[in-house]
Amino acid sequence: MSMDVKALEDDRHHRYVLNMGPQHPSTHGVLRVLLELEGEYAMNLLPVLGYGHRCHEKIAEFKPAKSFMPNTARMDYLGALIYNHGFAQLLEKAAGIEVPERVEYIRVITSELNRIQSHLLWYGAYLLDLGAFTPIMYSFDDREHILDILEDVTGSRLTYCYFRVGGVSKDIDEKFVTGTRAFIKRLRSRFPMYEDLVNGNIILQKRLIDVGELTPHICARYGITGPLLRGTGVAYDMRRAEPYSIYSKFDFEIPTGTKGDCMASFMVRFHEMEQSLRIIEQALDGLPEGPIMAAKVPKKLKIPAGDYNSSVEAPRGELSYYLVSDGSDVPYRLKVRTPSYSNLSVIPEMCQGMLLSDVVSAMGALDLVIPEIDR
Amino acid sequence: MAEQKKSLLNVHSYTKECIERYDGASPQRTKISEAPPLIRMKLSDAIFDLCRANSLWPLTFGLSCCAIEMMCCGMARFDLARYGAEVFRPSPRQSDLMIVAGTVNRKMAPALVTLYEQMPAPRYVIAMGNCAVAGGPFDVEANYDVVLGVDKLIPVDVYIPGCPPRPEALIEGILQLQEKITGKRFPFPQNKMPEGA
Amino acid sequence: MDINQVKKQWQELSTAVEDVEYAVSGHDYNVCLECDKVRDFATLMLDEGFYLVDLMAVHVTPAIEVVYQFAHFETRCRVLARAFVDDKVEMPTISDIYQGANWHERETRDFHGVVFIGHPYLKPLILPEEDVDLKPLLKAEAKLKDVDAVRRKPPEPAPAPKAKPAPKPEVKPAAVKSQEQS
Repeated sequence: MSMDVKALEDDRHHRYVLNMGPQHPSTHGVLRVLLELEGEYAMNLLPVLGYGHRCHEKIAEFKPAKSFMPNTARMDYLGALIYNHGFAQLLEKAAGIEVPERVEYIRVITSELNRIQSHLLWYGAYLLDLGAFTPIMYSFDDREHILDILEDVTGSRLTYCYFRVGGVSKDIDEKFVTGTRAFIKRLRSRFPMYEDLVNGNIILQKRLIDVGELTPHICARYGITGPLLRGTGVAYDMRRAEPYSIYSKFDFEIPTGTKGDCMASFMVRFHEMEQSLRIIEQALDGLPEGPIMAAKVPKKLKIPAGDYNSSVEAPRGELSYYLVSDGSDVPYRLKVRTPSYSNLSVIPEMCQGMLLSDVVSAMGALDLVIPEIDR
Repeated sequence: MAEQKKSLLNVHSYTKECIERYDGASPQRTKISEAPPLIRMKLSDAIFDLCRANSLWPLTFGLSCCAIEMMCCGMARFDLARYGAEVFRPSPRQSDLMIVAGTVNRKMAPALVTLYEQMPAPRYVIAMGNCAVAGGPFDVEANYDVVLGVDKLIPVDVYIPGCPPRPEALIEGILQLQEKITGKRFPFPQNKMPEGA
Repeated sequence: MDINQVKKQWQELSTAVEDVEYAVSGHDYNVCLECDKVRDFATLMLDEGFYLVDLMAVHVTPAIEVVYQFAHFETRCRVLARAFVDDKVEMPTISDIYQGANWHERETRDFHGVVFIGHPYLKPLILPEEDVDLKPLLKAEAKLKDVDAVRRKPPEPAPAPKAKPAPKPEVKPAAVKSQEQS
């Protein structure tokens, strides 16, 4: 059911249009939502996008494909390594470059650390939206530990450009391995604290349970993937469905929910952090020695003509890069299919008739990063 | 695509008016009449400046990646509260510092200028991150939407380069703004990390 | 979902169904459609349980090509369906079948100028309102390529003296012949 636009334009005396403007106190970014309210109930919602549009797809058509890597990190800055991974994988598949095994392990370890970092930030920011000021302090503190570990090896705190076509830019050392192992232990000991402080809280339960219910059919019609889809019960994760890199070697579960409401996706993300820790542990145990860059990566990377697709599991859902090449090293067309784009498009249907505070709750559970929607 | 490259400042006629108004003026004295106080006493000015500098209230204006570093700055490790600037206000009417953290594009520019206009004087602007300073990584030929630097729209007091700048850089920017307001830089509190952190 | 049965139904609707090597190109099937069959195809895909991954356009000669990407939750099956726009740069909408296409089509209109007939609200999504005619992703004359140039070439045959090179596929405005696999 698409938004009733005519209703928005008609003159209705008992409804008014409220602008949840591009600048608002939630930390989602620059999203503008026009709400048609009847009292406190949101009858119609119209998201207005484009306030963070930065012409990434046009820039990709002007630069050699290899040098688009920093731009991929700017699209979703919270899952930057995973965006790097998808793009590096795309070019490696297209050009037929095979990556050494150590590189795959390093990529998996750093990507999973990035996923945990993204979920921790979402956790804190979502609770801040709901009005809880304490958990964000704890989750950001845990996050800083991850940033310390990753900063030594990648050089940045947020917008990583660590992966290269054919490998990674710097090798990991003993300090990284011991630091990561110490962090795994630390985070595992913090999970009971989070459960105690937050998950059992009666206010959180009343605000999240039965709010914003989704079904697998709705997800298929809108293209929703990621923790929202897994909250409805469909165990669809790119790392299992279309295994890339070396994820098929690791033993991890895919947490799912049952009802598809905000609480389900909340718990799915929470449990995913533990599963990511399992993957990191297994990867550290099996880390082989070897080179960190493929043997022959040409300076001018010509991509054979044709179209290529690379799908990875970003923290928010399925991320797909679609590249159309005409044989040169500059892409002819690059489309980035970001998960938040499809996730956000469901709110007119999901939030129709909800209380305004429930709309805030539902939008936080979608885990949006607006620059990846606007690209 | 249109043959001539569209001017990236051709945003809004209201914005053009603002640029003309602010052009060449210092941030505290604009061409709009800001009536000077009837009595001006150096001592009271100094006291007020000291109070303003040590309790700057920022407006939440995180646009993209730099916003996360701004949030980190307000959290436990980097702690902006020591400098009095932790109270991020959602409303421009209640804030006196606008930290433009992220990329401004042509759709966002009128909103940015409107918010700046709504802030009561004396108001200050920090351009945080390469995008706000001069367009950053988007200053390329293919760009059709990004405004190359927020100082094309509003007057800026402090520029903080970086992509994204570290939280310590933002703290340094705030300290420099304090120095700009009061004329001197305060030695305390300094960012001393505890042992083993 | 029985893939062979679904493939048969695709072959009825489309002009060509092609198997693609997943390890290189990341998708399983390539389906070429005419623009009036797009809605039937989308209804079929929704009934079979596919979800809409993506909808985008590529600017080539002779016409802009709209590419739909579908995937399945249960089995691994990634399908790319392509259709050329008609002479008036229009295409029927699938936003009443797949609601997620609503925004994808608005964005395609922004970037390439493709008008989707039957779309309930075809206003600019990502570009500012006054930039409806900007169409930034349309290629300039010098950079525009033929659709042939961006298709996967069949692998070169071994350089034997009597070997014939693989025939070059022809392109018609509203249909694409299936390429021969060598």
